[in-house]
Amino acid sequence: MIGEYVTFQLDKCTGCAHCVKACPTRAIRIRSLKAVHHPDLCIGCGECLRVCPEGVIQSNVESRFPLDPDKTNAAIISPVLYSQFPDTMPCDVLRAVKEMGFDHVVDLSFHLEMFQFAVEGFIAQNRETRQAPFPLISPICPVVIRLIALKHPTLLDNILPIRRPAVMIADDVRKKLQSIHNITASEIEIFHITPCPSKALSQEMVLKDEIGSVDRTIGINAVYPELCKHVENIREMELDIYDTDPFANIPNARGPMWSKSGGEINPLRDEGMLSVSGLQEIRRCLEKIEMGVFDEMNYIELRVCPQGCLGGPLTAVDRHMAKQTVQKLVRTFGVNRRLPPYKLQRLYDRGWFFANIRPSDLTGYYPDQRQALTIDQMQEIENLLSLLPGIDCAVCGAPDCRTFAEDVVRGRARRSDCFRLREIDNGKEGDT
Amino acid sequence: MAALKKSFQLKSRDFMHAGEASISVQNMLKQIGIEPALIRRVAICAYEGEMNAVTHGENGNFRIEVNTDKIILDISDEGPGIEDIEKAMEKGFSTATEEYREMGFGAGMGLPNMETNSDRMDIESEKGQGTRVVMRFSLSPGSRKNET
Repeated sequence: MIGEYVTFQLDKCTGCAHCVKACPTRAIRIRSLKAVHHPDLCIGCGECLRVCPEGVIQSNVESRFPLDPDKTNAAIISPVLYSQFPDTMPCDVLRAVKEMGFDHVVDLSFHLEMFQFAVEGFIAQNRETRQAPFPLISPICPVVIRLIALKHPTLLDNILPIRRPAVMIADDVRKKLQSIHNITASEIEIFHITPCPSKALSQEMVLKDEIGSVDRTIGINAVYPELCKHVENIREMELDIYDTDPFANIPNARGPMWSKSGGEINPLRDEGMLSVSGLQEIRRCLEKIEMGVFDEMNYIELRVCPQGCLGGPLTAVDRHMAKQTVQKLVRTFGVNRRLPPYKLQRLYDRGWFFANIRPSDLTGYYPDQRQALTIDQMQEIENLLSLLPGIDCAVCGAPDCRTFAEDVVRGRARRSDCFRLREIDNGKEGDT
Repeated sequence: MAALKKSFQLKSRDFMHAGEASISVQNMLKQIGIEPALIRRVAICAYEGEMNAVTHGENGNFRIEVNTDKIILDISDEGPGIEDIEKAMEKGFSTATEEYREMGFGAGMGLPNMETNSDRMDIESEKGQGTRVVMRFSLSPGSRKNET
């Protein structure tokens, strides 16, 4: 199901319209003083979660997670988690997660390095021929992919067709666990601990390849309080640099760096790369890509959350503090490459990195829920706009005057919903 | 016959707002269901034209007209004009100053790009008199989703 990333508890809704104005796809209206959400336009960005003053809107990412003791439970850790604990070694954060009852904790560092290798490989392979459309767009942020599918379908082909690290690793871990414990796939439950509200539906993630790769997603904010206690305990212990979990690896700072804007492209060798974060900036950037402004660029990292994933709505720590923690980790642990390129090249040549289904197959992901307007209707909107106050007050329940005009023309709002039109129609001023 | 007309004033060297007319056109065409590939071509032309008028011209005017069978982009300014149009159409030819090139403009691809991406382009220009570029895009049946 598209768009069921958030739930509205309407009994608490005061109709303040903060969410209406924040929504980038104009998927919310106020009707009879309550928010009405149109999930078929929702891209799961979480902007409404951030601005709701009443706590009406909740992410559908799980906040409670009783572990099934009959299953082997593995937690894939978003690198953002490391940024939430200042002065703590990443391996200690992993130990703390394990203390919560998980059988395995999985660090992403190596898979990030693999992904980044594939980015370089793909650019090198296609730069001269320009067979793939440039600039390539990072496939990492699921909200960006959905925004493209909804608003900029011509750019779907620009999305790099490489599997995301969390997906690569989920498949890997599932296979490994089966052979280590001699169990079947159904006896394994893979969790993703994430700052991202948009991964709520692990069955409906960005690319169809990803279906079923992760069984359940939990917000970082949900585990944070308990995790703090374990981290505190572990900090009291003697230094222990040996780890027994085969999936914990030895995290370096590639993960933490990845969690802030620019961290994906920073360790890459290639020229011609941009990183952009924040919803407004991203919307502008996508428009510019469509107008050909960035045709000379090779790769663009886009993250909807401000400052990157560490600014995600489901984090627990202030994003500027988190950024500071990341900078310290980078200084201490570095972001060196640790995997032998010839082995990565072998995987690349085998097609291991590639998504089975190209992002362009998302063309029909958002069905044509909005019938296109006719030229006459468009002119009607322009005419109506000239009468509207143009102050985007949202009292009518739409985010701005233009959207209101469109709603009226489409028969989804009444002229009398606007105070100005009401005055005009009542003949108070008589000039139409 | 139904026609949609819209025009924008362009402020000379206002790089903060340059591109907004093109974005607004792009969004409008999406709303009336123009085929995405065509929108992209119009958007590229609109942006190049808008940037040219903002960069070189004074009192720029940006007009778009959408009819049932064609889209017309008409961008004009009262700038220095183009001395040699034929030369200006050559790929890589540019009169941009070093300063503009450093901003990422002036690679000499603007006009050639606009010509490639439009179905027909006409330039009127005279030195000291300003420039007017008119680009046409034909709308074949089926390039809109809900033809009425």
